Amino acid sequence: MSVEPLDRSVDRRAFLARAAALAVASAAGATVATPPIAMASNALSASPGAGNRNPALDRPNAYTKPRPEATADPTELTIAEAAWLIRANKLTAEQLVEAYLARISAYDGIYQAFNLVLADAALAAARDAARGPRHGALHGIPVVIKDNYYTQGVPTTANSFLFKDFVPPYDAAAVARLKASGAIVLGKTQMGPLATTRATTPAGVITTVNAWTPTNRNTDPGGSSTGTATAVAGRMATSGIGTQTGGSITAPSNAQNLTGLKPTMGRVSAAGIIPLSYTRDHPGPLARDAKDAAIMLTAMAGEDPADPRSQGLPDVPDLIDAATPVYQRNQVKLRWNTRIGVLPGFTNGTSATALARQAYLAHLAAIPGVTLVDVPLPDEWSQLTGSTFNNVRLAERSEPFMPYLRTDLRGFGVSVTSWLQGVLLGGNEFLTGQRAKLLLMERVLNDLFDACDVVVQTDPVPFDILGLPEIAFPIGSTAAGVPIGTILGGLPYAEDRLLSVVAAYQATTDWHLRRPADPPAAATARSEAPAEAPRLTAEQVAELTQ
Amino acid sequence: MAPTPPTDAELNVMIRARLAALGIDLDQLPPGNTPDPETGAPGRDSVLTSLRSFLRGTVSALAAYQLPATGATDPEAGKALSQQRVPILYPSNSTEWRKA
Repeated sequence: MSVEPLDRSVDRRAFLARAAALAVASAAGATVATPPIAMASNALSASPGAGNRNPALDRPNAYTKPRPEATADPTELTIAEAAWLIRANKLTAEQLVEAYLARISAYDGIYQAFNLVLADAALAAARDAARGPRHGALHGIPVVIKDNYYTQGVPTTANSFLFKDFVPPYDAAAVARLKASGAIVLGKTQMGPLATTRATTPAGVITTVNAWTPTNRNTDPGGSSTGTATAVAGRMATSGIGTQTGGSITAPSNAQNLTGLKPTMGRVSAAGIIPLSYTRDHPGPLARDAKDAAIMLTAMAGEDPADPRSQGLPDVPDLIDAATPVYQRNQVKLRWNTRIGVLPGFTNGTSATALARQAYLAHLAAIPGVTLVDVPLPDEWSQLTGSTFNNVRLAERSEPFMPYLRTDLRGFGVSVTSWLQGVLLGGNEFLTGQRAKLLLMERVLNDLFDACDVVVQTDPVPFDILGLPEIAFPIGSTAAGVPIGTILGGLPYAEDRLLSVVAAYQATTDWHLRRPADPPAAATARSEAPAEAPRLTAEQVAELTQ
Repeated sequence: MAPTPPTDAELNVMIRARLAALGIDLDQLPPGNTPDPETGAPGRDSVLTSLRSFLRGTVSALAAYQLPATGATDPEAGKALSQQRVPILYPSNSTEWRKA
């Protein structure tokens, strides 16, 4: 026998490099929110792809000839449309940035979508974009960043008293990749304090409004990526990014007529994001349609030495082609034949949401390649996905924040209760919760996905627990004009299939093309002297927290 | 015989002791039920009420949950946790990692 033992067949140099990367990443992950440690891990900012051209963003399908109605106002353009105009030298990044800054100046007083507007830096980056080489569809496109992503030299507060003076020394991996792809950061957006609820001040006073009802603060704008959603819906940015732990991308996308994509855990590096619950924090885009979501995710996705969860996964597929409708004899058909699972009770009732869901399924069923199938809920679904097992995540938010819990409980503001709940969760209970995740996953794979390829969702939390991908998109509107959305969930790393289904649906409907009216002038004037805003109490936040 | 459920007073002592053992002083929060006017942080009595409810609800329910035995395991033997499913922090990632 001449076969060597396994220890000599391992590439030791590669092993050591990988082990070192994991050790540094683990240290950074455990203390990611503390500035001194963040300084020490500055070397992690050089994520793969940062500074390198991403050819996947320069595919022909990444560019779309603009709709005639969109050419009159550059803030109406999707990424793919703006990219088409920029490539054709019919629009400059500077013109685009100036158009958005004008809207921000006019309307953000009432929308309150931004924590910080980077006007000068965005204009300078736009001028640089005109001189530099083109990077693909994101070249010169203005985007907004939720304020829990590290941004080099720019305050990053997670909308919390705890981080009010924190200025990160490097960009989060996802931000670095977007910038390396040519995107221009317009600003940091408002969010639920520490990513817990809809956007409020850290003390609970409601701030950001739903762009569809700017004069009514009581309309839920969705959270916690609220400011990103309002900025994109209110045409103050072409696209943006958020994070999702318990519906924080899908909920604001549904509330504000956007297409939001929560990728599978690990598809996008979470390095450089202030954590909420590390097993469930998913970075992803909030966009105007499936194509734009695909472009954003293409830039953000991929392996990162700073985040072990992003490693050892399937290659990022061609998401932009997946999000491009396919036609056969002038009729849209699905790119891949797909069985769409429908959960019990999904269309029950006569509410506006129920009627929209019925129409949505009927519309889908008419697209060649779609097969609707009724699927059962797995055993113990309500228990394994309900509040008890959802609460297992709370220990994850407490553990990295122990230094703050010891010294500054009031600094958590209205959100402190769930951090203290996490401290009371014992190791036994936490481990039971992790065992239950595997049980739930087995049942989802065997009972749900045995009969279908994607499945409708009525609640984002189950797939957030499992780290499975979800896409949110608009399917209707209430009588009062408030958007109605829905969610589809998929198998691990099947973002391409989810995008293909939504692209076909959006090619035959126009819900995603609808935009909210501008705030009335009277409301804009009132915003200069705002009336007493409603406020969330600590008890409400403990119930609503993501 | 099941133990007598703890009273509110006993739970309050347990909560304060657990937090103090980890270096967290609940008295950083305002007294009573009134939130801090500046930060919105709740009063310590309000928090204790919420934490007692969390212990009686979430923690007790998780502790009482018995995972079903795996197919190849005798249900009685399966009560030993070592014969249960392994804890998995990242079920989606591990689904892919196990394909390798």
